[in-house]
Amino acid sequence: MENNICIKTKNLNLFYDAFQALKEVNLEIPQKEITAFIGPSGCGKTTLLKCFNRMNDLIKGCKKTGLIEINGVDINSDIDVNALRRDVGMVFQKPNVFPMSVQDNITYGPMTHGIKKKSVLDNIVFDSLHRAGLWNEIKDRLNKSALSLSGGQQQRLCIARALAVAPLILLMDEPTSALDPLSTSKIEDLCEELKKDYTIVIVTHNMQQAVRISDNTSFFLLGEMLEFGKSDEVFANPKNKKCENYITGRFG
Amino acid sequence: MKLIKNQKTKESIFKLIFAMTAVFTIFAVIAIIVFLLYYSIPAFQKIGFFNFIFGKEWNSSSADTYDGEMQGMYGILTMIVGSLFATSGAILVGGTLGFFTAIFIAEFCPKKLKKIFSNAINLLAGIPSVVYGFFGMRVLLPLLGNFSANGDGSGILSVSIILGIMIMPTVTALSTSSLESVDRNYYEGSIALGASRERSVFKVIVPASKSGIIASIVLGIGRAVGETMAVVMIAGNNPVFPTTLFSSFRTTTANIVMEMSYGGELQTGALIATGVILTFFILVINICFNMVKKPANSTSNNKFMVYLSGIKQKFEKSKFLNIKSESLTRTKFLTKSRHLDIVAISLKHFSFISAFLGIVALLTTIIFIFVNGFPYISSELLFGEFNYGGDPSIFSSIVSTLMLVFLTSLLAFPIGIMAAIFLAEYSKRDSKLVRLIRLMSETLSGIPSIVYGLFGMLFFSQLLKLGTSILAGGLTLTLMIIPTTIRGTEESLLMVNESLREASYALGAGKLKTIRRVVLPSALPGICASVILGISRMIAESAPVLFTMGASIKPMPKNFKSSGASLAVALYALGREWMHINESYATACILIILVLLLNLLSQGIVKVLGKRIKGA
Repeated sequence: MENNICIKTKNLNLFYDAFQALKEVNLEIPQKEITAFIGPSGCGKTTLLKCFNRMNDLIKGCKKTGLIEINGVDINSDIDVNALRRDVGMVFQKPNVFPMSVQDNITYGPMTHGIKKKSVLDNIVFDSLHRAGLWNEIKDRLNKSALSLSGGQQQRLCIARALAVAPLILLMDEPTSALDPLSTSKIEDLCEELKKDYTIVIVTHNMQQAVRISDNTSFFLLGEMLEFGKSDEVFANPKNKKCENYITGRFG
Repeated sequence: MKLIKNQKTKESIFKLIFAMTAVFTIFAVIAIIVFLLYYSIPAFQKIGFFNFIFGKEWNSSSADTYDGEMQGMYGILTMIVGSLFATSGAILVGGTLGFFTAIFIAEFCPKKLKKIFSNAINLLAGIPSVVYGFFGMRVLLPLLGNFSANGDGSGILSVSIILGIMIMPTVTALSTSSLESVDRNYYEGSIALGASRERSVFKVIVPASKSGIIASIVLGIGRAVGETMAVVMIAGNNPVFPTTLFSSFRTTTANIVMEMSYGGELQTGALIATGVILTFFILVINICFNMVKKPANSTSNNKFMVYLSGIKQKFEKSKFLNIKSESLTRTKFLTKSRHLDIVAISLKHFSFISAFLGIVALLTTIIFIFVNGFPYISSELLFGEFNYGGDPSIFSSIVSTLMLVFLTSLLAFPIGIMAAIFLAEYSKRDSKLVRLIRLMSETLSGIPSIVYGLFGMLFFSQLLKLGTSILAGGLTLTLMIIPTTIRGTEESLLMVNESLREASYALGAGKLKTIRRVVLPSALPGICASVILGISRMIAESAPVLFTMGASIKPMPKNFKSSGASLAVALYALGREWMHINESYATACILIILVLLLNLLSQGIVKVLGKRIKGA
């Protein structure tokens, strides 16, 4: 069992200056499964997600205590943070493609990490666009600006871009909240496909989505993790009263 | 009922006044261009258009007329080439320094220093060009003379350095704001892929703000091409091709200044023609500027970012997901990323060096002038009696400058502000009229200052018979200040929240009342700032008033018909005499202090008034 744990936090606390955004979070995320974070706005889901690739480092006044381990490595120890972000990919709430061509968006990551050979890069472009289910749609537009794609395509391009650096984990911060239903379903299908190879952590406001795609669900409220378990169980019989109220729509 | 009707008449009268001021700018531009074209035609005919532009010899003769035999030679190719070289050199120095300094300020500068740096850069952008020319003449030329074969430092190298230092603050200020306006999501997206800070800046942020950076460099080019006084003081001004870094050469702008005051009939015509060619160049540059400034439709993007080679359609045969791409064969989890981006890191260091060099160059200029000039600011110099023989006194120039500022302010600010009110409040955004007026006022602001001087001399001084006087100088300067006033005012009016206007209308206030009681007070800080910057420009400009107001220091002006050098021109005059070195340093010092104070004042007003409005 222990071997299957990919991300593990122990007594994790996080402060933005005086405000405590995460309180004593203890969590074990299994590998090659989809884990969803749910909870009302401002409960700390995204904050926790950004701990896993240390994007919180960019925020001023952010302090952490406790332990975060990824595959047994303490990521707050003296590691190369750029290598961490290479291995822990992230997809943001709004598609943030670079104002470059589709191709350059994909190759940006691999080139950043030292891959120069054109044949290898070409393979990566092909491979990651395929994985993101985008190849057939845009294979003729690789040299066009990525900004010319539709919103859903842009978001899948962002996923492809994250895949291009061959991460082990994919963090998704409400990846479909800015998209139309059709694009959303494509991305959900994609997640199902991707979990064969990647550990996925997804923050979502959409509980149907959490039920549909996730294997595990954890519920957050005011910075505390109140419930964690198999998604079927969490949604069928929540153990925590507040979680039940949230799931049944009494607040949130 | 009657009351309402009265109000309506008042409303429409004011609307008419505002509209007329706006239309005035259209007429002004058309007048200047038509006038210059009209007066250049005889010279073009006499000399021949191609002989004029491609002629390599310039040897003017003031005896030449349009009718008689032509004694002199009138070809300006050497000067066109001179302008080209000077501008390229200036961009090489100032563009590079400015661009990298902007990257330093926007991306790598510690927060605390950032404000100081960007404020300092904004302040330095206002220093009069004649001060830079003076510094070049007194300090740089003797220094460079040590390295040149003929012992004379003037030439392309000196001009490039001085113009470069001069345009650097402009390039920096604009590039910085363009870099800072890049969506931070791009940066985060790049960081999240594990790219280093340096790589994210140089590979994502800089390319994303490419259009703004190019625009800032184009603006720098415009300034360098149009600059006159600083160039005249250090170029050497021989009408020959610049063959080495240290050979004396002449630019088109310098050509006008050199010979305008004593030109004969054909000679003056040829100078006007030079002005027309110069204006044409600047207008082309401005059109480029406007094309770059409007960011190309983001969806269309043709060759945006082509730093990688294109991909070919050769994957069709490869099988889905069967590719073992190299990146997927992971080495070891959480190993150090082995790839160090040397290029990005060295570019970062270069931006540190540039910022350091740029700031040092600017500060050296200022501090050197202060150290040499400040001790000599005496009451004798400032308020002494004027006499032709003895120690110079710039009292009369100070008074002339004050009168000039007073007159120009009286004319330029009301017209500029009212035209801006028309543009922002009355006209439909992007209607044809507005676009025309905006184009005209942008054209007006693009015309180089020496061309204004030329126009002012021919139109106000000679045609309207105002002579060389404060009046003629003030009118010339008014034409220059109006467009910047319009732009500054319009920007601050457009910043006023639409809901404020709606609230006022909802209370039954008319348009005029809304503008007067709601819009103008909210826009006041911005308007005040642009007025003060306008004043500082009036003090700093020398080329437009050189021949309209007077090139030498004269006795105390009696009225607006009197002539005499303004403070900036006084520095030009004093600096070129080799006798009164200390006094010229002191004058330069006074100019810098005045301009810096006015710029500080405008920054302060924006802050204080802005706070008051928010607090109230």
